[in-house]
Amino acid sequence: METVLSIHKLTKNFGKLCAVNQLDLEVKRGQVFGMLGPNGSGKTTTLGMLMGVVNPTSGSFSWFGEPATHHTRKKIGAVLEHPIFYPYLSGQKNLELNAMIKGADPNNIPKVLETVELTSRKDDKYRTYSLGMKQRLAIASALVSDPIILILDEPTNGLDPMGIAEIREIIKKIAADGKTIILASHLLDEVQKVCTHFAVLKRGTLMHLGPVDDVGKGEEIVEVQAYHDDLGVLLQEFAGSATIKKDNGLFQVMMKDGFHSKDLNRFLFDKGIVASHLATRKKSLEKQFLEILADTKH
Amino acid sequence: MLHLLKVDLKKMTSYRTFWVICGLYFLTLGFTTASGMEILKWLASKGAEFGASININRIPLYHFPDIWQNLIWISGLFKIVLAVMVVISITNEYQYRTIRQNIIDGLSRWEFLQSKILTNVLLSLMSVVMILSIALVTGFIYTPTIEWDYFFMGAEFFVAYFLEIFAFLSYALMLGIFIQRSGLTIVLLMLSHMIEAIIKVNIFRSGVEDQIGWLKQFFPLESITNLVPLPFARYALQEIQDYVALSAVAIALVWTILFNYFAYLKLKRADI
Repeated sequence: METVLSIHKLTKNFGKLCAVNQLDLEVKRGQVFGMLGPNGSGKTTTLGMLMGVVNPTSGSFSWFGEPATHHTRKKIGAVLEHPIFYPYLSGQKNLELNAMIKGADPNNIPKVLETVELTSRKDDKYRTYSLGMKQRLAIASALVSDPIILILDEPTNGLDPMGIAEIREIIKKIAADGKTIILASHLLDEVQKVCTHFAVLKRGTLMHLGPVDDVGKGEEIVEVQAYHDDLGVLLQEFAGSATIKKDNGLFQVMMKDGFHSKDLNRFLFDKGIVASHLATRKKSLEKQFLEILADTKH
Repeated sequence: MLHLLKVDLKKMTSYRTFWVICGLYFLTLGFTTASGMEILKWLASKGAEFGASININRIPLYHFPDIWQNLIWISGLFKIVLAVMVVISITNEYQYRTIRQNIIDGLSRWEFLQSKILTNVLLSLMSVVMILSIALVTGFIYTPTIEWDYFFMGAEFFVAYFLEIFAFLSYALMLGIFIQRSGLTIVLLMLSHMIEAIIKVNIFRSGVEDQIGWLKQFFPLESITNLVPLPFARYALQEIQDYVALSAVAIALVWTILFNYFAYLKLKRADI
């Protein structure tokens, strides 16, 4: 697969503070790449360097296999941190300005306004927009040049649940078009839902890099509930139980290798118990994320 | 190049403050330069009250070729208004952080600066065209007999005037890029002449003035002022410099390049 972004030993120091430390990363075409990390882990600084607003202390990166210039930035749609627009210009005028800078066709504007559902407010000044509308306009501006790659930094910040779902749909749709997306987010659930790959940063250092599908591989957790008073005790007799936890009234059984939910089901059935709830759970990204951050104490 | 100018104009032309300040600038500039005769008449009437008679017809304020330097010198006083506009334009980009988004969207830092410099060129050119038109109209009205041989004498002051405005706007732009906050930048801009004067007074004490006084012309703001010397002393029968000194143009030009170069260096090195 073609490499879209390749980062080599990228470092940024702010005085004594090392915001990004010797970062190596590759993003291939078509990936939806999640960048995870707590606040202050260097996500935005990294994206700032990639987009030319922060000067790297050392290291290098290349977009599309060429050294980065402002011309390569025109092929990227990016929103970093929070939406930035001229408050005294209307949404429409702001997008016209974005299109001008990017050398994009202004005829794209109605289409992207439609995508983010701002058509009816396009002639109002940006400063009158709600936070959600500002976020949506930012996504519209990133899309206006029909970019090959999209960089979104916390795109769902401050949105209501409907807005979050909409943005998620937009991201999925864009990804389905074969576009590459880099998504920085705190919302691990979001990342798990839309990303194909993810990286975890902590204090500027890369802690983990891999496909989202690998999360929780090799471990199976089965959630079970039944009308039985000593279910917890009973479950311990099951040969496949590694650990058992009770959470929200459900028992979570971590399975040993080679055991699956159907084995547990059969075990219960043999004991004369019918499960009222039985579900296989993969380990959540959130859990893995917290483990990665806890693993390596710095 | 034209594209970059259009980008900056797109930001400004929907900005009400821009129209208000530019409107005030061109209106006051126009009215002041066009009403010199009325001011002279008023002065004459005041003089008459004190028993002094001034024959205003003997003051060829609006006669070709005197008119060029006269109007241009007066117009130079108004450049501070445009400079404030330039400061607002650049500090807004920092305040709204739109400079960051412009660069993310694909402008290089140099292109961003160019777009601002080109607007400065345009504003300077518009001032020149404005004064040229007013000078032509009022000149033809008030000059009793036009001597074509002398008509263009002093027209080179328009080159100096252009440089005077552009140099000062470049200074304002640089100040804005370094300070990034509008209020502080405007105050410093207003105080610049005074600060430079204080520095000069302390350097050129009476003992040393004779030896190194010639260095004064190399100070940035003085170099801008020296482009167009005060003409009105000639009506009190004093000798004035009624031409543009090449050395003054050279010094002001070097400062103009430096202002823009310093702005470029600052932009290039900063994390935005």
